[in-house]
Amino acid sequence: MRPMDLPLTANVVAQQAAIEIKDLTLSFTAGTPTIDRVSLTVPHGQFLSIVGPSGCGKTTMLNLLAGLIHVPHSGTVRIQGREPRLGDHGIAYMLARDSLLPWRTTLENAAYGMEVRGVAAEQRRERARDLLVRVGLGGFEKSYPKQLSHGMRQRCALARTFALDSPILLMDEPFGALDAQTKLQLEELLVDLWQEERRTVVFITHDLGEAIAISDRVVVMGARPGRIVTDVEIPIKRPRSVRELQKDHVYHELYAHIWEMLEQGYKK
Amino acid sequence: MNVSGAQGWKKLAMGFASHAGFLAVLLATWEWAARMGLLDPTFFGNPAGIISFLWANFVLGIQLWIELGWSVMSTLIAFISGSLAAVLTGLIFVIFPRLERFLDPYFSALNALPRIALAPLFILWFGLGIGSKIAMGFTLTFFIVLSSTVAGMRGINQDHIVLTDTLGASPRQKFFLVTLPGAIPVIFSGLRLGLIYALLGVIAGEILAAEHGLGQQLAYLASTFNMNGVMALLVVLAWLGMAATSGMTRLEHHLLRWQ
Ligand SMILES: Nc1ncnc2c1ncn2[C@@H]1O[C@H](COP(=O)(O)OP(=O)(O)OP(=O)(O)O)[C@@H](O)[C@H]1O
Ligand SMILES: [Mg+2]
Repeated sequence: MRPMDLPLTANVVAQQAAIEIKDLTLSFTAGTPTIDRVSLTVPHGQFLSIVGPSGCGKTTMLNLLAGLIHVPHSGTVRIQGREPRLGDHGIAYMLARDSLLPWRTTLENAAYGMEVRGVAAEQRRERARDLLVRVGLGGFEKSYPKQLSHGMRQRCALARTFALDSPILLMDEPFGALDAQTKLQLEELLVDLWQEERRTVVFITHDLGEAIAISDRVVVMGARPGRIVTDVEIPIKRPRSVRELQKDHVYHELYAHIWEMLEQGYKK
Repeated sequence: MNVSGAQGWKKLAMGFASHAGFLAVLLATWEWAARMGLLDPTFFGNPAGIISFLWANFVLGIQLWIELGWSVMSTLIAFISGSLAAVLTGLIFVIFPRLERFLDPYFSALNALPRIALAPLFILWFGLGIGSKIAMGFTLTFFIVLSSTVAGMRGINQDHIVLTDTLGASPRQKFFLVTLPGAIPVIFSGLRLGLIYALLGVIAGEILAAEHGLGQQLAYLASTFNMNGVMALLVVLAWLGMAATSGMTRLEHHLLRWQ
């Protein structure tokens, strides 16, 4: 069922994993658990995507990692060896909606995370400015969110997330609401930013194509109960270009292959 | 830009001219009706008399400026103290929702009470001076600003809270970086109304019993049947209310330019 999982796990035992979930079962209400016996180990520096149908517990799992929810559960969850804790500086969380503060300029928004975490004013302004240029928002430092397009706002949120020095990035469908062209641009941007530092990423998406194009590994979940259906490593070499991949035959073969496993998983 | 600027000025001048024309016709008709005995000046005054009253008391003399000063000072003190108390109370309510639920019936009863009924009590407690006027304005401002503060802080975008929580913000950071700035648009609509109501409370208090203030002058002029004086003061009060509103609008445009 999880063909690529074994060698990976063996690799990781030596060093401590960035994220370690063992036998996680979680229910909001009595009856079918929301998450059923999920085990997942994410090594440092891996770009992992989780794909799955709506309601399979993806957001719940991410929220649990971020310490945002406290629901009785069995099994263990560890972030860099520690229990999940809300406000852990080891984690940068990016939500589906940009959650830019409308009274802050683009520059102030990009620096917001650093400001909360106590980075010195001069330093955070410099870093935010650099990142805004990187995400293509140079020249918009003084604009307010209402003056930005949807894609630009998400770029700013990306800058805010990458401006943090957290080794682990949790992203919950950050590009879910964008049009196809904008989405492709932002995926490219995300991959570029990530390739510079190779932090651990858990990226949630509905889009299998997106997951394959940007990740080192794709985990497919099934719903009711939420469980892992497939866990596949993506052997496409880095550095990658998301745009180029659209024409790559390996990419399309992988897509067809995972899709098939996915459908088998659903039938069970 | 230049063209539209010129057009803008032209539009403004046109608007000004049409209002001036309208008022001139209105005042001339009024004056004519008063002189013909159609509109009794004993009860309605007449424009010439009103203008000469304003001229005598605001240009030649300064007595009414002093009365205006008393009213404005009382209003500002009532407004500022009432708003500060309301924002602080609102903050406490948002932090301790159970306290709000407990106090709700009492606050609702106080808020429902026709506030002017408190005037006799306030005059006994705080005297004929500005103390009782400030108290009147305070009670009106307080409840208006309180309800908008609570509504504003409750209506904070949850995404902002979640993001800020995941960043590890302290409660103090959360308040000053998210809750307060996020609530300001709603608090502001309460402040705008609160200022008008502070003026209302102060003037009402002055009319009932006072030594100073435009309200006291108004009551005195009415009791001596000086209708031109009464009408003149009504004009001044309307102007004062409009100045307060436009001042708030300007402040809002400045503080909330991100909206
Ligand atoms: N706070 C909550 N209380 C009760 N049930 C919840 C709560 N949060 C989530 N659930 C339930 O848990 C299940 C998983 O929700 P979750 O948001 O994790 O799904 P998801 O995989 O992120 O879906 P989507 O792709 O639509 O975002 C859903 O059936 C949902 O109804
Ligand atoms: Mg979700």
